[in-house]
Amino acid sequence: MLRGFLILTVFLIIGESLSFALDWPVSGGILGMILMTLWLLTQSGAAGTDVGAASQQLISILVVLILPGVVGVFFIGGQFDGQWLAVGVALVLGTLASVATTMVLMMALLPKTSRKNQRD
Amino acid sequence: MTELFERVKGLGAHLSDSPFLAIALTIAAYFFGTRVFQQLKRPVWCPPVLLSALLVTGALLLLSIDYVEYQKGAAWLTVLLGPATVALAVPLAQQIHHIRALWRPILITVPVAATLAVVYSVALAWWLGATPEVMASLAPKSVTAPIAIGITEQIGGSVALMMGGLLITGVVATLFVDLLVPRLGVDDERIIGFVLGVNAHAIGTVRAFEIGHTAGAFASLGMGLTGVFTAICLPFAVEFLGGGIFNG
Repeated sequence: MLRGFLILTVFLIIGESLSFALDWPVSGGILGMILMTLWLLTQSGAAGTDVGAASQQLISILVVLILPGVVGVFFIGGQFDGQWLAVGVALVLGTLASVATTMVLMMALLPKTSRKNQRD
Repeated sequence: MTELFERVKGLGAHLSDSPFLAIALTIAAYFFGTRVFQQLKRPVWCPPVLLSALLVTGALLLLSIDYVEYQKGAAWLTVLLGPATVALAVPLAQQIHHIRALWRPILITVPVAATLAVVYSVALAWWLGATPEVMASLAPKSVTAPIAIGITEQIGGSVALMMGGLLITGVVATLFVDLLVPRLGVDDERIIGFVLGVNAHAIGTVRAFEIGHTAGAFASLGMGLTGVFTAICLPFAVEFLGGGIFNG
């Protein structure tokens, strides 16, 4: 667990260093995640390893980690007054449109053989 | 006795000095939210994190603790979002073998869907006169929360507004998928799961695992790839547009 946490932290630091040194607008955590994905693909399976265990622990408490940010929603106050129509329409219509697009795209692109049950 | 009373009266302020009140409140609210969610029979329209957030908000108002003060204490927890974001590499690496079997549909759908998710919402918001800050907060709405926080900070949005948008997007997308699937006659779990993961991040992925293991696996993959694609492309697109819509 602790060893896995160390590896995660090292990848985070590498990501952060790259982001800073190359002056990229991508956050260090995300670069660290991409690098670790590539690294894991060279390994034979991540489950059962130290990193796998530490990751599972952290992912299982993700809700706790994002909760303080979600609480902020209720303290926005009048900061965005007059823009709530734009926010609501963008979220609802935008989401309906992108769900429909993704669905149609996947249905059109998935190999015919694996869509045998879609005749009706 | 009066001395004891005085000391008890100052207890609230004293406890707010250390982060443990904020930490305990956050973790307790998490358990409460999960519990109530189960008792409500797991409604899609009301994710557990919303219940937990309502409880924390109520407690803060009751104890008259400032949100900024709470956030400062809770930062001892939220700092773990850094390594937790890196940890998302593990489920992504585990599901990535699905790409080998279905590389063409997946590698076409993710960039197109993730780009359109941003374009649809930002264009609608821009059309209705939203400010650059609001548009930047809405742009990462289909991305899983830990990654979306990083993106929002990079492109100058409000994390609070983004979180609200994320919740609404997850709920609306999941409900819409449930509505669309029987009407279009889709019964391929891989399509349903992937659409849920790409559009409805963690909320959709939870729903996908209720449908089945295959749907869940494809949702995790869709969520991970959408997060990575958006995290790389969106900040560069904003930087490239420079004085464009995001900066007024």
